[in-house]
Amino acid sequence: MARIATRALTWVILIVALAIFVFPLYYLIVTSLKSKAELFQAIPTLYPHNPTIAPYFSVLFTRQFLGLLFNSVIVGVSATALALAIAFAICYPITRLPVRPGLRSFVLNWALSLRFLPPIAVVIPYFTIVRTLGLYNQIPALVIVYTIFNLPLAIWMLKGFLEQIPAEVEEAALVDGGNRLQAFRYVILPLASTGILAAGIIVFAFDWAEFLFAFILTATPQSMTFPVGVQGLVTQFEIIWNDMAAGGVIAILIPLILMLFARRYVIAGLTFGVIREK
Amino acid sequence: MTAGASGGSIGTAPAVPPSRGPLALPARIRSGWLHRSRQERLALRLLLPIFGLVFVAATIPFILAVVRALTSDTGQFIGADNFGRALSNDQLLEAIKQTGVYGLVVLPTEILLGLGLALLVHRTVRSRALRAVIYVAAMIPIVIPQVAVGVVFRLLYIPDYGLINALLGQTGHDQILWLSSPPLAIFSVASVDIWQWTPFVYLIMFAGLQTVPPESVEAAQLDGASSWTQFRHIELFYLRPLLLLVFFFRLADVLRVFDHVFILTGGGPGTTTEFLSLYLYRIAFRFSDLGQASALAVVVMAFMTVLYTVVSRFLPADTT
Repeated sequence: MARIATRALTWVILIVALAIFVFPLYYLIVTSLKSKAELFQAIPTLYPHNPTIAPYFSVLFTRQFLGLLFNSVIVGVSATALALAIAFAICYPITRLPVRPGLRSFVLNWALSLRFLPPIAVVIPYFTIVRTLGLYNQIPALVIVYTIFNLPLAIWMLKGFLEQIPAEVEEAALVDGGNRLQAFRYVILPLASTGILAAGIIVFAFDWAEFLFAFILTATPQSMTFPVGVQGLVTQFEIIWNDMAAGGVIAILIPLILMLFARRYVIAGLTFGVIREK
Repeated sequence: MTAGASGGSIGTAPAVPPSRGPLALPARIRSGWLHRSRQERLALRLLLPIFGLVFVAATIPFILAVVRALTSDTGQFIGADNFGRALSNDQLLEAIKQTGVYGLVVLPTEILLGLGLALLVHRTVRSRALRAVIYVAAMIPIVIPQVAVGVVFRLLYIPDYGLINALLGQTGHDQILWLSSPPLAIFSVASVDIWQWTPFVYLIMFAGLQTVPPESVEAAQLDGASSWTQFRHIELFYLRPLLLLVFFFRLADVLRVFDHVFILTGGGPGTTTEFLSLYLYRIAFRFSDLGQASALAVVVMAFMTVLYTVVSRFLPADTT
């Protein structure tokens, strides 16, 4: 009897916990589908009685957030590609070639230590550099800063994937008369492709979500990213909640979809590859 | 569901990944003995230019911050003036205190709650499909941009139209000013952090529990060990490195917390939720006092580097 009671209790706890974690998002989506009239009803409705996608149109076209979305994609894709390329150039020698352990651990340790720096402390000097170089409010400035800031993550993830490839596989290619470049091109690269893709998705999601750098280094819709726009909706147009919620949903949607594809690598990404899924 | 189930069949690599790194190196060097020096030269030729470039790009800000902190707005050398102003500012102490309170609320709650939920699911949920559902659900809060998280909780916490206050009003209660009454605001922004990051702790702890060898658990159960003994003497042993890791990453995040607080309270009411990052933001970009802000940035960067050096010693990663 006591066992049944405990079991029932644990299930109740689990269901309540799940509800607490899911409900806020549900309510965000509901709000984004409400018409203005429904928004200001005295009792907030818990589901949209007359669902409309007008708020999405309003955000993307009337407020021209489509341009910001475009900026976010450009910045995210460029910074991700750059970070992956650089990370690969760093990880290949430290995982596949006999680099001294001291140098190897210095590189990795240095990368991990960057994770501890608060972005605000870093952005203060970057702000000065960017203004001096005439890159203020320019997309390239964001690309450079994002590349540097997410490089540690890319390095650690790629390192994890590259060191999983057995040395024997590459050596076999070398013994068979291939040179190192061929071994890289035909053995390492294909074997590492899943890892590269996973790292790319995670890094892109981080770039996509970044707020502080973009908020400080951009000023106009010409180079603003989507999260900065959403923040603007919050502070300036508090009353227009359905638009704000629609902006939130769009901001969420892209990383969410990507993460569903790369779900086996999310934890690895968040812990710098220290914890890996089987 | 098969795809989802495979995503949910969580196992982890051991906390210390089977490193092919420093330990595996001697074997590899021996196998390619004749090529050793050539290969090592190749490695350095590949590694050093690009790593050097990145290292410089990431280090320049620190140097420039030092330079800027030591000069006036017109570029004259003024010594440690800015550092003096930065460190003697009472508001800095206040910001550090708030950050400390925030961390003390958020870190234990997230870690205990996440660990508890992981144990609960591990012990009660047997269905792989259900585990997969929970796995994906737990991932959702984590991957959401913090700005959007701020939006979500504005919808719940705002006076009048915010869901919680609207419901309170309807049931004849007084409104609660979640974000604008001083003692409550810090807990409200902390609750958002807890909402977003408890699942992160959960996922790591749950993954860790899957690495506990079933034999030792079964043996303990045969001996009549209680659920608590089983946790205390067996599972905790396997989770300890992961707990440290989680603590490490969450600590780094607490010390840099900005986005959702900026959107929810902007540091207010007054400066009661003005954590370290928000304080630096105000000095640098509201007051445009870049001299003092640079001094602060230098101090913060130096402090974090020291903290990192200390904390990373306890990390299970193959960084040493």
